[in-house]
Amino acid sequence: MGSSTATTPEGNSSEILVRAEGIEKTYGSRLPFTRSVTVLTGADLEIRTGEIVGIVGANGSGKSTLMNILVGVLEQDGGTVERTGTVGWCPQEPLLYDRLTVGETFRLFGSGYGMTAEEIDEAKHRLASKLDFEQYLDYRIDQLSGGNRQKINLSIALMHDPDVLMLDEPYTGFDWETYLTFWDLAEELAADGTAVTMISHLIEEQSRLDRIYEVRDGQVYDVTDQEGETDATASERGEATDE
Amino acid sequence: MQRPVNGGKRPMNRVRTGIRSNVSTFLRTPLNVVLALLLPIVVIEGWGQAMAGLPSMPTVEAIPIDLGRLLGAIFGVAIIAGLMGLAQMISARAADRRLVQTGYPPRTLLATRLATLGGVTVVVAAVNYGVLWLTISPEAPVLTFVFLVLAGLVYAFLGALVGALLPRLFEGSLVVVFLAMMDAFLSGDSPLASDVPEFVEYFPLYHPKELLQEAMFQGTYTTGDLGFVAGYLMVLLVLVTVVFGMTMRTSGGWSA
Repeated sequence: MGSSTATTPEGNSSEILVRAEGIEKTYGSRLPFTRSVTVLTGADLEIRTGEIVGIVGANGSGKSTLMNILVGVLEQDGGTVERTGTVGWCPQEPLLYDRLTVGETFRLFGSGYGMTAEEIDEAKHRLASKLDFEQYLDYRIDQLSGGNRQKINLSIALMHDPDVLMLDEPYTGFDWETYLTFWDLAEELAADGTAVTMISHLIEEQSRLDRIYEVRDGQVYDVTDQEGETDATASERGEATDE
Repeated sequence: MQRPVNGGKRPMNRVRTGIRSNVSTFLRTPLNVVLALLLPIVVIEGWGQAMAGLPSMPTVEAIPIDLGRLLGAIFGVAIIAGLMGLAQMISARAADRRLVQTGYPPRTLLATRLATLGGVTVVVAAVNYGVLWLTISPEAPVLTFVFLVLAGLVYAFLGALVGALLPRLFEGSLVVVFLAMMDAFLSGDSPLASDVPEFVEYFPLYHPKELLQEAMFQGTYTTGDLGFVAGYLMVLLVLVTVVFGMTMRTSGGWSA
């Protein structure tokens, strides 16, 4: 079983907010006729203040598993994770309460973050204006389109101004305008010192990333300075890789 | 870096916000409301008529149709409360994990769920009591109502436990429905279920049914039965707390 620790940030200009070392994860099952799947076999990575970090990799390579472990919603089998500051997590599928309205969703998750009613209200209006969902504040989550639901999913991760943002393909379903707004927002946050980490599939995005980690064969490789492209981006275009 | 500043104001009350969210979710699920209001009429009268043609038993004073209605009432409360408990846990599990990740304590979340279930159970028991009261006048009306609530709470907690253990609503519903049906039938002194084995005494509805039957037809109750039900509730509460805590466990925290 791995270990995890948490400390408070000290305000260094390039402070490490998340450090993972030797992360191992296997999905096992006690049921007969099922197989265990080994996903991570010793993954290491660091996330620093003010960076926009991309995690890339082929389908099934373990990107979401790695992010869930970094966030703390999934326990690793081995290795350590050190975390500093506060986190905002935007999962790949919107994990929200379908029967609550957008406003009620902000209040419930805001109470989880320990925010006051005024802070929650301010965050709700700020993000609704930025991501253009002001007209849907009284709508129930299950009455929203996929794109608008994803905006709420992202907003819940952002509402408490976290030190680290962990985003698992956060723009799924966004229209082009919202996609561009999302990137403006990510760059603003990074400029303010927030570490923005996202799982990305789009090759065009790689120029926007300060650091790129590729998950491959259970390990994590820093491919930021590598010339050309990663195995993952090649495979997503349907090209053969040497795996 | 921008951070929320409380400015001396208190954070939003998690318990109040949680219960309000749970109640809204319940009321906005039309099937819940329809089941809670209509099922009592169907099961109470249906069970009564089903037993009306059966012969009276020497060991049971109540006439079969009244006993049938009583069993229908206890089944009606149990099945609705059990399914509500199940749905509260299963349908929200993934979102619950995210809520816990934000810092919402799992025990507070569970407490808001159980408090909501308690409220729903009282309402469902009141509806069942009302339907029952139209056909039978209980000897001890308050005790009869209280014991109906207790029967509902047992199944509400049982449903919550099944919901915390099983992954999907379909499987969970089958477990709760079949268990409640067998339980109410075998615990019910029905001539069709005579010579039941002794372990039926440990079924969830056995002692609530004994309490209800005594309060309804004789106006009294047995302390031993009440103690058994209280113990049953305590054990279920501990099990639900442990299992829910395990399903909501996160690996390490983030400093606030």
